[in-house]
Amino acid sequence: MADNRRTKGFPTFRKKESLLAWLFSTPAIVLLIVFLIIPFVWAIYLSFTNQRLIPNLNIPTEIVGFRNYIRLFEDEAFLRGLLNNFYFVAVVVPIQTLLALGLAILINQELKGMNIFRTIYFGPVVTAMTVVAIVWTFLYNPGEGLINAFLNAISLGNLGPYDWLLDTKLVFPAIMFLSIWQGVGFQMIIYLAGLQEIPSSLYEAAQVDGANKWQQFTNITIPQLRNTTIFVLLSTTILAFKLFDQVKVMTNGGPQNASMTTMVHVVEMGWGQLKVGYASAISIIFFLIVLGVSVIQQSIMKEKGSES
Amino acid sequence: MKKDKLFIIISLFVVLSTILVACGTPAPAEAPAVEEPEAPAVEEPVAAEPVTVDVWFHSGKGEEREVLDAQVTAFNKMQDDIFVNAILLPEGSYNDQVNAGALAGDLPCLLDFDGPFLYNYAWAGYLRPIDDLVPADVKADFLPSIISQGTYGGKLYSLGTFDSGLSIWANKSYLEAAGVRIPTSIDDAWTMDEFMAAMDALMELDEVEYAIDFKLNYGAGEWNSYGFGSIIQSFGGDLIDRSDYLSAEGSLNGPEAVEAMEWFQSLFEDGYAIASPAGDDDFYGSKIAALSWVGHWMYGPHTDAVDGLGEDVVLLPMPILGDKAVTGMGSWNWGLTSTCADPEAAYAFLDYLVGTDEILHMTNANGAVPARKSAIAKSDLFGEGGLLNVFVQQLEGGVALERPVTPAYPVITSAFDTAFLNIVAGADVQTELDKAVATIDQDIADNDGYPLPE
Repeated sequence: MADNRRTKGFPTFRKKESLLAWLFSTPAIVLLIVFLIIPFVWAIYLSFTNQRLIPNLNIPTEIVGFRNYIRLFEDEAFLRGLLNNFYFVAVVVPIQTLLALGLAILINQELKGMNIFRTIYFGPVVTAMTVVAIVWTFLYNPGEGLINAFLNAISLGNLGPYDWLLDTKLVFPAIMFLSIWQGVGFQMIIYLAGLQEIPSSLYEAAQVDGANKWQQFTNITIPQLRNTTIFVLLSTTILAFKLFDQVKVMTNGGPQNASMTTMVHVVEMGWGQLKVGYASAISIIFFLIVLGVSVIQQSIMKEKGSES
Repeated sequence: MKKDKLFIIISLFVVLSTILVACGTPAPAEAPAVEEPEAPAVEEPVAAEPVTVDVWFHSGKGEEREVLDAQVTAFNKMQDDIFVNAILLPEGSYNDQVNAGALAGDLPCLLDFDGPFLYNYAWAGYLRPIDDLVPADVKADFLPSIISQGTYGGKLYSLGTFDSGLSIWANKSYLEAAGVRIPTSIDDAWTMDEFMAAMDALMELDEVEYAIDFKLNYGAGEWNSYGFGSIIQSFGGDLIDRSDYLSAEGSLNGPEAVEAMEWFQSLFEDGYAIASPAGDDDFYGSKIAALSWVGHWMYGPHTDAVDGLGEDVVLLPMPILGDKAVTGMGSWNWGLTSTCADPEAAYAFLDYLVGTDEILHMTNANGAVPARKSAIAKSDLFGEGGLLNVFVQQLEGGVALERPVTPAYPVITSAFDTAFLNIVAGADVQTELDKAVATIDQDIADNDGYPLPE
């Protein structure tokens, strides 16, 4: 937004336009300040206090300096949660992106009844995560769950039953699997939009030049989807860091923190154990880490963009 | 191609609207802004405006909600001085909403609390002691457990209309087929040896896949502290040292507590119990479990003639696992806030709720233990010889122990819950309990030992 000094020389309609722009963005700016900026600044303050969720009317909240931040480093659940977040991002983001691209190409064909497939792949996305998580809890059940029954059947009785959600080694992969299943449809739609933006004349020209399907894919489809891919990677990464619903419903971070994530831990500290000050400290550190990751990711992608 | 675009647009629209719906969930309906009326003038009784009393209540099972609605309507009709404005909040997030209300300084006059969550509010100064409002003869008629649950720092802060009962339900024909002695009162409860022998005998039956269902399908939450903290107490440990409530060291991680939890863990390792039941009905539906360790609230499903066991169910007293039999107790209880403008009016409504007939009105609907002896005497189910009389015996006979009476309870239950679930999943007992103790003790130290309000 240009400031006043610079707009002075412009014709009046420019001024008007700028005024109008401010006018239109005011509701959004007000909402952002009230619901994002103020709470965030407030959280920075709270993270240096021993604020309780239910403050004692007789004992004032005190400033405790860096106590909350120092404790973070000794907090096993926090460290494990952070590690799990990165583990989740490292595994889920690439797999989900590749699967989404694959599905988008599959459903981008002119076949009868294609809309049925699109709806099927998209179904999990519009289902509330809580519902998905409860259904999958039943699917993962060691006694009567479908997944163990399936593994048992295809392995002729050699595999399982596994107690997916109570085994420290299996629980987090199990949650990743359902997360990919639930989330892939959304990225698929973005990719589908990207695919349909590619002009068909490019493919026609390539065919004239004698390029086969694979060459068309690597030389036209992939480069043309560059912006889409950047968007998908960034949004999936941020969504992955926010991992909460399915863990809260299925395991609450257990067993032995094996499926702990930072968001689950924040909620447990703040709402379960009433330590709002400490929960704020976790949130601030987590915010800085996610911010760092996003900045690095973006700068890498910009570099790659300028190379090509 | 047009079709595809349409599909994408529709899909994105669906996502957007889902997000909008999720974000736009309206905040719980605010109380209609009723002007706080001036104290009714004594001279002109005809024109006197009724005093409005705001009440919050957890909207639990359908029957509870219906009964309370009926009680509010009836109370408003039967007199003209007080208007009760009851707001029902969803049970799942009730504690969170009350927390938020307290934080915003916006609590109503009268509200109910889930068991020991009361103490935190009492300690923090949000509640008003009600000793001066409750007549001595009324107080004496309550179950001792209700009074001890409502007492913090020597003052009475709450009354409940019902209490909970926790014990072991059994499949009668399985017990008979296995030739197991069926105890009928707390005086002849099973000992540990009898309990283990009974489970061994029951496991021999073809129909029985595992001996006892611990309702672990309830997942993380208050059930674990309520249902299984008593095992530690039976062995001689506790969730916290109750002499001064300053530390859990030695209580929750001492040899007694470790022994208790190691015994409990062995039940899962040896196949007496399973950690992930496929559903809720292994005991009363598919009947693959012979015993069920659960509370009074399963009375309906258990005795259902079609989907349950009908007449084939029996309630056993809690076995003597360690030194003595101990079981959990406590339920929703009503407290008055310190900001309440007219405590007498609020208490008038509470007094109506804890009347013998109204208590029975509620407990006949939700199956809980009536909070007053005079009400119990009138109940077929809980009175002498009733199917659920064991619950009353446990509550009156000192078997039922209230959960720790301390504002640190939210942290205690959270820490114990984590340790408990890890232990069930096979973690080392001593390590887990040590961690829980560290969490609890740190919280108590951070709050300077939770000094009592003057």
